[in-house]
Amino acid sequence: MGNLLEVKNLFVSINTKEGELQAVRNVSFSLKKGEVLAILGESGSGKSILCKSLLQILPKNGFIKNGEIYLEGRELTRLPEKSMNKIRGKEISMIFQDPMTVLNPIIPVGQQIMEAVLTHEKMSKLEAKKRSIELLMTVGIDYPEKRFYQFPFQFSGGMRQRIAIAIAIACKPKVLIADEPTTALDVSIQRQILDLIRELQVKFGISIIFITHDLGVVANLAQRIVVMYAGKFVETGTTEEIFYDARHPYTWGLLSSLPDVDCDNEFLSYIPGMPPNLINPPEGDAFAPRNKYALRIDYYKEPPMFKITETHSAATWLLHKDAPKIESPIKFKECRVIR
Amino acid sequence: MVDKIIGISKKVIQLIFVTFLLSIIVFYMARLAPGDPLVSYFGEGVERMGTAQKLEAIEKLGLNRPIYEQYFSWLSNAFHGKFGISYKYKQDVLSVIKDVYINTIILGGLSFVLTFLFALLLGIFCAENEDKLIDKAICKIGTITTCVPAFWVSLLLILIFSINLGLLPSSGAYAIGQSKSIASRIKHLILPLTVLILNHLWYYAYMIRNKMVEEMRQDYVLLCKVKGLDKKRIIYKHCLRNIMPSYITIMALSVPHILGGTYVVEKVFSYPGLGTLCFESAKYHDYNMLMVLCLITGILVVIANMAAQAINERIDPRMKHDRGEKDWNNNTAPGTLK
Ligand SMILES: Nc1ncnc2c1ncn2[C@@H]1O[C@H](COP(=O)(O)OP(=O)(O)OP(=O)(O)O)[C@@H](O)[C@H]1O
Ligand SMILES: [Mg+2]
Repeated sequence: MGNLLEVKNLFVSINTKEGELQAVRNVSFSLKKGEVLAILGESGSGKSILCKSLLQILPKNGFIKNGEIYLEGRELTRLPEKSMNKIRGKEISMIFQDPMTVLNPIIPVGQQIMEAVLTHEKMSKLEAKKRSIELLMTVGIDYPEKRFYQFPFQFSGGMRQRIAIAIAIACKPKVLIADEPTTALDVSIQRQILDLIRELQVKFGISIIFITHDLGVVANLAQRIVVMYAGKFVETGTTEEIFYDARHPYTWGLLSSLPDVDCDNEFLSYIPGMPPNLINPPEGDAFAPRNKYALRIDYYKEPPMFKITETHSAATWLLHKDAPKIESPIKFKECRVIR
Repeated sequence: MVDKIIGISKKVIQLIFVTFLLSIIVFYMARLAPGDPLVSYFGEGVERMGTAQKLEAIEKLGLNRPIYEQYFSWLSNAFHGKFGISYKYKQDVLSVIKDVYINTIILGGLSFVLTFLFALLLGIFCAENEDKLIDKAICKIGTITTCVPAFWVSLLLILIFSINLGLLPSSGAYAIGQSKSIASRIKHLILPLTVLILNHLWYYAYMIRNKMVEEMRQDYVLLCKVKGLDKKRIIYKHCLRNIMPSYITIMALSVPHILGGTYVVEKVFSYPGLGTLCFESAKYHDYNMLMVLCLITGILVVIANMAAQAINERIDPRMKHDRGEKDWNNNTAPGTLK
């Protein structure tokens, strides 16, 4: 089956006062129809910038430096703004981290949903309103006819995120990018929003790119996971492969934060140190200085992606045939993580 | 409804109180300032008056009594609608004002509306082109214009357009005997209006530009982009509405600013209006005139501020709720509303 979205050798940079910050460096991946792909990585690893570049809604000083993005075979990076506007919301849509600020505070939520509908579809105001009320219902807002007229400040954070989701799926996009949609919410609400996203994914068959730095969040949602570090992909694989057969020390670090993981290695309970400065990214493996298992080669030569299985690969010299064999320190107490 | 009436009566009481306070301050300040009020009444004649004559005149005008007594008699007269006569014009103050106030309203009103309209358009234009060459150029030029004093621009314009080119009149509100002629009025308005607008435009345009630039970095703009809205629509439909409340507040708060500018420009262009009157009355210690002009100006400023608040409440739904209407979240059943 063909890929819905295909990203090839994408480089994204941000011009800052100190120089060009290489936020995304040589990233390639693909997304199939109906697939949920999770992007993992700690703060500052370039997850949001990567996703914003897909929609070309980068900050003013950001730009796609190189690479191609194909949506159903159509190249996006060279499209004029006007054609891009036809894709945003209609083909690819996005929800964000902070539901408190993402809605326009002085426009009734109903109108904000209607606007999304009317931007891409020719229909009367009345039909659009009906559709918006249906959408509110779909995302689990009670009394949608009344709520339609209310302003964002009259909703709680979880409900605002639901409304943002309603806006994002208003035109049944093929791809939904969810940029840490639950991070700002408290735990019980997180669960609900995740359930909602899963439900919509099944109902509409939307492909989802789900960003998070919490592995536990995506365990049940994603079919495939990529792990990002300092603007690069360091490991990609199916959810099972990442959970039970992770190869990259950075992935081990992320896994060790899960409650179900017995970590026999103290170093991994958190990842020490700071991510590198991306204005002058280091030679060699960017993770090496923080990596207890780093080899000498890591400091001067960048590891390629080593293929482990057809779907699983990781960028670490530990996978080289001459490297010392290191046992993964990650042991699951019990298999509760993946249902 | 009851809320509304209480709200309005509160404002009226506030207005009365402020007016009262203002009247006391102006009354005292005017009388404590050095100078001789008789000059405005008798003109040059004062110099030829003897001491006895002067005392007599002062007594006749009631200026020999303690200030607080003078004030109370002024106040009781004012309650009866009598604001006294202008020493200079030897006429009832109100009738002097009645003849010219419309000129100030025309000049001040037009400059107010046009300044804020142009500032809005210019500010948005700059924000749209943020950091592009055109924006940078406008910012530079704008900064320069705010440094140039109004009277200097006035003189320059008079020199060019009135004296050298002879295209436009340099003074007055209309050609003699043509107070009804719109064409004549417009001709007389062009120069003072230009000065006023140039003088204030960039100050407000820059404010709008920066507010808009900041607004365009808000999270909700990102969601608007994701929806597929184009930039123009995001700016006009979303961002503009969000900055409007603060702009309107600024507009209202700037009434004294613009009014002050109008007064100065009136003076430079000898435009017969409240500003020119104000200058004269202050210069000649025309107490009664000064009093009424200050009160009018003060009341205008207070009303403008109140209007700003009222308009803001209509635009921004949150403000109304801050005043005590109950905020409610998902835990309250919406069915109980209304
Ligand atoms: N507007 C900007 N100006 C300058 N640098 C930026 C800007 N936005 C992001 N960056 C930089 O780009 C890099 C990647 O940022 P990004 O927001 O993609 O991280 P992230 O992985 O989404 O992190 P988080 O988990 O905190 O959201 C970071 O180093 C960040 O400092
Ligand atoms: Mg992010």
